[in-house]
Amino acid sequence: MRIFISILLLAVTLSAHAQIKISGRALLEGGTEAAIGATVQLKGTNVGITTDLDGNYSISVPDQASILIFSYTGFANQEITVGNRTKIDVILAESQSQLSEVVVTGYGSQKRSSISGSVSTVDAKEIAERPILRVEQALQGRTAGVQVAQASGSPGSELTVRVRGVGTINNSNPLYIVDGIPVDGLDFLNPNDIESINVLKDAASSAIYGSRGANGVVLITTKGGKRNQTGSVSYDAYYGIQRANRLLDLLDAREYATLQNEAYLAAGKTPLPEFANPEALGKGTDWQEAIFQSAPIMSHQLTFSGGAEHSSYTVSGNYFTQNGIVGGDKSNFQRATVRVNGSHDIKPWLTIGNNLGFTWLERQGLAENSQFNSPIIRALNIDPVTPVYKADGTYAYSNYTSTDIANPVNGIEQTHSTWRSNRLVGSVYADIKLGKNLKFRSAYSLDATYAIQRGFSPRFDLSNIPSLSDAPAPEKQVINTVFVGNNTWRNQQLENVLTWQKNYKDKHDITLIGGTTALSNRYDGSGGANTNLPSNDPKEAYISNTIDPIASQSAYQFASESSLFSWFGKANYELNEKYLASATFRADGSSRFGKNNRFGYFPSFSAGWIGSHESFWNIKAINFFKVRASWGQNGNDRIGDYSFTTVINNGQNYTFGANENITNGAVALSAANPDLRWETSTQTDIGADFELLDGRIGFTTDYYIKKTTDMLYAAPIPLVAGTAPPIQNVATAENRGLELSLNYRNKDHALKYNIGGNISFVESKVTGLGRGGEPVFSGYVQSANANASKTDVGQPLASFFGHVTDGIFQTQSEVEAAAFQSNETRPGDIRFKDIDGSGVIDDKDRTFIGNPTPRFTYGMNTDFSWKGLELNIFFQGSEGNDIYVNTIRYDFTYVNRPSSALNRWTGPGTSNTEPRVSLSDPNQNARVSDRFVEDGSYLRLKTVQLAYNLPQTWLKKAKFNKVKFYVTAQNMLTFTKYSGLDPEIGSVGGSLEIGIDRGFYPQSRTIMGGVSASF
Amino acid sequence: MKFKSLLLLSLSVGISFSACQKDFLEKKPIVGITEENFYRTEADAIASVNAAYAPLQFQLSPAGHFRWFWGDIMSDDAVKGGSSDNDAFSLLQLETFKGPTNTDLLESEWGADYEGIYRANVVLERVPGITMDETLKARILGEAKFIRAWNYYTLVTMFGGVPLVDRVLAPSEYNISSASADEIWDFIEKDLTEASATLWKRSAYAESDLGRITQGTAQALLVKTYLWRNKWTEAKTIAEAIVNSNEYQLVSNYEDIFTLFGENNTESVFEIQYMNRSGGNWGKNNANEGSLTNVFQRARGQFAGFGFNIPTQNFVDEFFKEGFEDPRLKSTVFRVGEPMGDRGVFTLAATGDLPYLYYPKKYFNGKSEDAPFGDPAPNGGTNDRVIRYSDVLLMHAEAAYHTGDEAGAKVSLNKVRSRVSIPNISATGNDLLEAIYRERRLELGLESHRFFDLVRTGKAPQVLGNLGFKAGTHELFPIPQSQILATNGALRQNPGY
Repeated sequence: MRIFISILLLAVTLSAHAQIKISGRALLEGGTEAAIGATVQLKGTNVGITTDLDGNYSISVPDQASILIFSYTGFANQEITVGNRTKIDVILAESQSQLSEVVVTGYGSQKRSSISGSVSTVDAKEIAERPILRVEQALQGRTAGVQVAQASGSPGSELTVRVRGVGTINNSNPLYIVDGIPVDGLDFLNPNDIESINVLKDAASSAIYGSRGANGVVLITTKGGKRNQTGSVSYDAYYGIQRANRLLDLLDAREYATLQNEAYLAAGKTPLPEFANPEALGKGTDWQEAIFQSAPIMSHQLTFSGGAEHSSYTVSGNYFTQNGIVGGDKSNFQRATVRVNGSHDIKPWLTIGNNLGFTWLERQGLAENSQFNSPIIRALNIDPVTPVYKADGTYAYSNYTSTDIANPVNGIEQTHSTWRSNRLVGSVYADIKLGKNLKFRSAYSLDATYAIQRGFSPRFDLSNIPSLSDAPAPEKQVINTVFVGNNTWRNQQLENVLTWQKNYKDKHDITLIGGTTALSNRYDGSGGANTNLPSNDPKEAYISNTIDPIASQSAYQFASESSLFSWFGKANYELNEKYLASATFRADGSSRFGKNNRFGYFPSFSAGWIGSHESFWNIKAINFFKVRASWGQNGNDRIGDYSFTTVINNGQNYTFGANENITNGAVALSAANPDLRWETSTQTDIGADFELLDGRIGFTTDYYIKKTTDMLYAAPIPLVAGTAPPIQNVATAENRGLELSLNYRNKDHALKYNIGGNISFVESKVTGLGRGGEPVFSGYVQSANANASKTDVGQPLASFFGHVTDGIFQTQSEVEAAAFQSNETRPGDIRFKDIDGSGVIDDKDRTFIGNPTPRFTYGMNTDFSWKGLELNIFFQGSEGNDIYVNTIRYDFTYVNRPSSALNRWTGPGTSNTEPRVSLSDPNQNARVSDRFVEDGSYLRLKTVQLAYNLPQTWLKKAKFNKVKFYVTAQNMLTFTKYSGLDPEIGSVGGSLEIGIDRGFYPQSRTIMGGVSASF
Repeated sequence: MKFKSLLLLSLSVGISFSACQKDFLEKKPIVGITEENFYRTEADAIASVNAAYAPLQFQLSPAGHFRWFWGDIMSDDAVKGGSSDNDAFSLLQLETFKGPTNTDLLESEWGADYEGIYRANVVLERVPGITMDETLKARILGEAKFIRAWNYYTLVTMFGGVPLVDRVLAPSEYNISSASADEIWDFIEKDLTEASATLWKRSAYAESDLGRITQGTAQALLVKTYLWRNKWTEAKTIAEAIVNSNEYQLVSNYEDIFTLFGENNTESVFEIQYMNRSGGNWGKNNANEGSLTNVFQRARGQFAGFGFNIPTQNFVDEFFKEGFEDPRLKSTVFRVGEPMGDRGVFTLAATGDLPYLYYPKKYFNGKSEDAPFGDPAPNGGTNDRVIRYSDVLLMHAEAAYHTGDEAGAKVSLNKVRSRVSIPNISATGNDLLEAIYRERRLELGLESHRFFDLVRTGKAPQVLGNLGFKAGTHELFPIPQSQILATNGALRQNPGY
């Protein structure tokens, strides 16, 4: 090692010789404003510096033939040959083109124009355009081919991100890499810290991530300072108020009582005496009003950044807090982050750096998106006759409820559930220059999380007469319970990458990258619970605060580990800036794979042709044109840590003995599969990029076919095996898609504007399910006690599957003429189609009745700026997806209904859509059917932001660089036919739980005001 | 020069990784035991056979048995009940012999039986290699053989010929087709004969092992098996061996049998054990030792049950056929006006206005016996009485009758009758046989015997014909359609379905 370093030193020393010193100033177009932080680079080398606060720079060059490249984001690059000058001033012209944008790719970066794969980028400027609460939102509607949907509107909740559709029935989340560190989830990341997000969409781009890249790769780079940049301090803050977008129109107390009376009479029972005079009940309680509230949201950020000749840094701190529109502080999310990024040239050949982020976050959780006991389901279903409070101010209970549907306001108050996590995600690295063309980077990174989950379920009893304990089961809890869970995750990675880059005769550009990665993950979890604490105060809810003997406590502890070791290589070749070729290869060894398949190999190839650089290109209007094609393979390794082994499961107990002793039994519950391997995805992509009118118009399109094979699926096996089916690589799926994005920007006049849009079409279907190809049912719907989704060969994933309605029986003779449904089918019940023609309506009469996956998703973004004023308007939409409405618990007789129930059938000719009311639904009108499938398409005005930048002249006096005030409105308008609270429903609970509204926690309509200042 | 050292560096990095790579990528579960590390000790052997017992307790889907679904509801003794026809509708279809072939009820039964068979097979394959006390090992292997035989007994009596799985199957062997019913019966006989040779007598078990399979259990099931196969002499011999073992006595007071303290009493030959634990009980592998039979069979309304397995008038009438009320009726059926333990008096209003005049009593549990807390419909803990000594006596009577020993038959029959102080039977010939059959209905009423007794004795078409039973079809249940599909048709549907 010592020899090696001395050789290195020698090499570096040898290359040093006489230099010319050049200085000057870079100004922006117009010639008055300094280009602060512009890069001045010596062409063909990595030598470069950035301009200071006044735009001044100073750089040493070897000789007069040296060429300096001046670059500045948003401005066109300028190359200037030094000649005999020592002072060079430049004026940078604003660029309309995006081609010089640097795109971060796997283990390197490239100019956009040189890329032959498919990569979408969102940069800090776009992120800064509007406050976003979570990083994933930055991708929504901005990037063709990336579908983002809110999985819940509750603060801090995850978003569903799908790159090029869902290619697997298993985990479909993309691989997130933050500053080279693979991370799980992005909730720890402060959006303000992000420099850029690049999404590797095609396999050729993502194959360098091998067995983890099949769902696409999202590369996130955080902000670091720039060299030679005067220190700056910036402060960003906003405050906003969130409100519910819309509430549903439900029956009021009079209407509810009227329908209940009808139902009782129809069942041959005497209506309840308290409903004898419905009018007297008035409007009753609006339970939605009772649980929805306006809720504040706030963020403060302080950033320090700067750089000297040999070092640069960014230090930032952020505090963010958001209450929920349901539950207020009971669904509060808070996050505090500290980030320290820096890089330092220790020696001419050695640069070291760090990207360290620490996050503290705390989230209060309510039951959400649950059809059983979430506040929203309770509010939509509890009868409007019951008041929120009794006369004495305590919470009231409903006389009609028996389970699940309890007073939601009390339910929220009795919920005490906190997730608090401390997470350090950081890396340290050393960049070693091994010569003019050769670089070596070694990086160690750590992602360490300590999270504690605490829950307390207090004693309460809403009974009117406590001694009789007359409240129904969900309205009282006689024993309190405390729960705690401790979780630690420790993921470490050591990565060594060698990069060789050379340009031969200004013709051949060659980059070779090779490296190794070793990754090890460990999870430890432990916790416990206890019941019957003497104190009912959540502050005193600790397991050891007990009066019960220790036997009432329970505890658990478990741990798991996984590791990954990889080799990878990449070669890029560019000839004359016209012909592009690239190849990657990765070998992944994973502890998750069975011993017969420990290593997986993932190749990719891509090629491109920049036609506009050919000498024969004479279409003036098209200043840039590129076609590209790529092919590659990668994998999905999220298959569980030990799926290949046979684990003996304890706890298969039996009771023996006169004293009924629970005696342990142990057996393997599922069969092992030592052949287990990653899922493979093979993707072919062809695309084209155009720029017209000197970059004013940019257009990109991609078409791809993505085939997933060896998809992991525990295909049902005959029950004679006696075990759960082993997980096998059996299923297959195919996605095809078309992506278009178009942008028009005009910076020619004082009114500058940018209008962009993108649209993504995806068609995905399952092509095989192994063995007998038995379909997979998912999407359990309690009101029908059945599954609403079916994944079958030839169909899109988790398509809705059920009966088809055929109007309402108007007369008894119609009932008799139709296929048999039930002995108790009456006029007013729904007629279901006898699809198999058997004369009986049964499970065989179900068919596909809807598709939860959109045909296409799209986004439209418009920016205007005039003088210091900026206006940003951003629309996002989804088209062609269905939603299964499962918000009313038809399995209960006493629940409230939407106002549409007033149009019920009451006699021949009264309705052909809304069935009669009944107590027990003998005809099963609530069975899974197209009655509950609605068009979930929407177009949403996600953001409107108006900002004002104080004029430079004022700022100069106050020594400020920038002061900006803005007002932002989010989710102001939604165009949809969907009748529920929110049509933007992500996947809740896995890839096969799509588009079912189980009382979705809706997104809020938010108005925010903010300020952004720096000096 | 520079390049070489670099190459060296990367090679050394690479080699050092390759060297430790094997260990680096070798991750075994940290918590939990893998199959390679198990089956080494006596404790492992006991744990593995305990796991084979566990599926006996499984109830409901996706794998589980409610023996009374088949034995009682399918027979003339009881109807489904529940809140309405739609409450477990497929059960209504089954009991009216319009049986669907794709109900999860049958699939659950099938699955639970084969899960038990798998676990018994694991014991029989793994435990012989463990170094341990040989007597204990022999007992454990006997327990496993019995459990395997019991599951096959359930399968063959319900479905006829089924796949014969005598080992842990490899994935390539899943598409196994059915053996004939005779082959299954032979297999059961063999397992039970071997099991009764190595199992311990009931009295040899420690009190803490109460509820384990004994020699007597295996012999009693063997007697049942012989009865199904009309092997009267063998049945009689084994039944007499049980009687002469003096391991079992009839409990003096009939109504004590079904109480909590009557569990595992002196006449208990085979009892599936439950205790009153709640929580997570609607799935299979976490049965938590509680039984749902209690809550299913209790009346609705204030009795907080689901009101299933409703005794028929025909069944109740049977208890009056000798001119007096058979004393066993009051231990078998609740009638209007009677108290339902500590849950209050049975009135129609208190049951939520359901029209049922009778409720089953043998699996009733009091509120004080419910699982202490948990869900609103807590589990009971009543053991499932599968084979009682009186059943053995009545089987002996039947076997003795068929071998011409009418005197011996009457001795056994009258032992059962005199326990409840009712007059002896003195009939002969076919009347005696009918008396034995009738005694089974009364003595073992609502204990899941009736439907299978009717099929076994050939009386089902006559007794159940008006409910839709067709001879030649309904002696067997349909093979679950899902299993025919899952084996790509290697299984064949039973005739008539």
